[in-house]
Amino acid sequence: MENAVKFESFSFGKRVKSMLKVDFRRMFRSRLFYILAATALLIPIVMTVMLTMMDGKETVNQQTGEVTVMEGPESVWESIGTLPTDSAGDTAGGADNSAEGGMAAMGAGMDVMAMCNINMMFMLVCVFVCLFISDDFRAGYAKNLFTVRADKTDYVISKTLAGFTAGAVMLIAYFVGAMLGGAFTGLSFALPVGLNAGNFLMCMLAKIFLMPVFVSIFTLISVAAKKTAWLSICGSLGGGMLLFMMVGMITPLSSTLMNVVLCLAGGALFAFGLGALSRLILNKTSLV
Amino acid sequence: MFAVEIKNLSKSFGEKQAVSGLDMTVPMGAIYGFIGENGSGKSTTEKMICGLIPKSGGSIKLYGRDHTDIDVRSSLGVLIEAPGCFPSLTVWDNMMLEAANLGIENAEEAVIKMLKTVRMEGAAGNKYKNCSLGMKQRVGIAMALLGDPTLLVLDEPLNGLDADGMRIMREVFLDVIADGKRSIIVSSHLLGELQKVATHYGIIRHGRMICELTADELDASCRTYVALRARDMKRAKGLLFEKYSRVEEDEAEYIRVYDKTTPEEIVTFLYEKGIVVTEIMTDKIGLEEYYTDLMNGGKS
Repeated sequence: MENAVKFESFSFGKRVKSMLKVDFRRMFRSRLFYILAATALLIPIVMTVMLTMMDGKETVNQQTGEVTVMEGPESVWESIGTLPTDSAGDTAGGADNSAEGGMAAMGAGMDVMAMCNINMMFMLVCVFVCLFISDDFRAGYAKNLFTVRADKTDYVISKTLAGFTAGAVMLIAYFVGAMLGGAFTGLSFALPVGLNAGNFLMCMLAKIFLMPVFVSIFTLISVAAKKTAWLSICGSLGGGMLLFMMVGMITPLSSTLMNVVLCLAGGALFAFGLGALSRLILNKTSLV
Repeated sequence: MFAVEIKNLSKSFGEKQAVSGLDMTVPMGAIYGFIGENGSGKSTTEKMICGLIPKSGGSIKLYGRDHTDIDVRSSLGVLIEAPGCFPSLTVWDNMMLEAANLGIENAEEAVIKMLKTVRMEGAAGNKYKNCSLGMKQRVGIAMALLGDPTLLVLDEPLNGLDADGMRIMREVFLDVIADGKRSIIVSSHLLGELQKVATHYGIIRHGRMICELTADELDASCRTYVALRARDMKRAKGLLFEKYSRVEEDEAEYIRVYDKTTPEEIVTFLYEKGIVVTEIMTDKIGLEEYYTDLMNGGKS
């Protein structure tokens, strides 16, 4: 046919590649990414310095008269991951293998201080993911993106990968910050008894591979909230909190290859499952 | 084959029916002027064509394929409501992002070419948020033109443009359709400007297409009138009102006689009544008046 118009095939690979180019170009040009990475780097330095300065100080409860002695960190690894449950059990419940001892050990792994470690990055990354996605809609760039993308799969894949990368960068920045903080305050770099560098490496890998679980939750909430950044951030913090407690348990300092495989499988499952849900939302709702 | 073929399209937002049973055909190589009042359903229709909002019913075909076809959609250029640019990025960065989005190989070359086309090459380093309304609009059009789209969907692209900008846009539009295959859907309230380039028109009201016609058909259906000025305008107007059924005074203070008559007849008539005609001419009503007539239920 003389009048026929030939359309160049916009293959899946090409679409994903172009979408990744857009997102990574944007990510590395956005101030937010660098602010969050710098925050991730500074938090452990500030925390380590402050906690070390407070080490041994006594505080008295004015009502009960109870004296509490502040305990600072003993090694730099405390801000990277929780101690293995057995070790925590030793601390909290002694060498007690009973149910009470186990619960106490869990409690030790879940107290406030145990949460104020590298695992905070799983929540901090929600700020990046939510603002990154809502900016597409607020700036109206979503119109350009979705006009040429009838299939939304590449958008969801790209956002998940961008969020995952940002999360991984934040985890690494936190790790560097923890090492620097430890070096400034003279904390011990010796690994806890029974652990080696391999465990530590597996712990970091497990955390990195667990990141897609959180990123896919944040992506899902963000594509549902679209322009409303505050709603996606609040929703993501709420949704993230549901799983936050398990991060320490799944990725202890004593992690092995099994932890890494479990996190990888969990990350892939969440990314595929919630990614499909995000795609469905994008297909069924208004994009402007 | 049509560039766009829409049948029985409908869209409702809750109780509100934004588009209802809309039929629309945009031929290949056409500049389709999509006209309607505010809230008539123009933007909603354009958004549905681009797949930005799901339709409630009906069908949309682009070049014979469903509008959800990945390949046909990848060849669309769009400017709806406002350009989709990140305020904190420069014009150049925004353009490069769009080039990446479209998977353009020689991105820098393509971006430079487009910025030159819309005369924005000197402002490439400006942050988008610091650009004026007209500059933003030019950037939006440049973004829509990136990657040589087969179908351009432009919603109010002429807003904020100065005279030079309007002229450039006219040139760009004519250049786009030169091969006879690419088409443009352009909605605008600047009907005078639209009439200078549009080859086809679609007039929408309350979510329904009330009229589709070509530029030639519009020309044929537009009434001619005699416009005049006389020494004694008040008396001349009174006399013409008595003699003819439809006489109006326009904004430029010309008396317009829409009845079937000739300038000679009017001059003779007024001369016999002792009134000197100082200016007289015949003209045709434009798109704007045709549209106003249509909206008021009048005949052109």
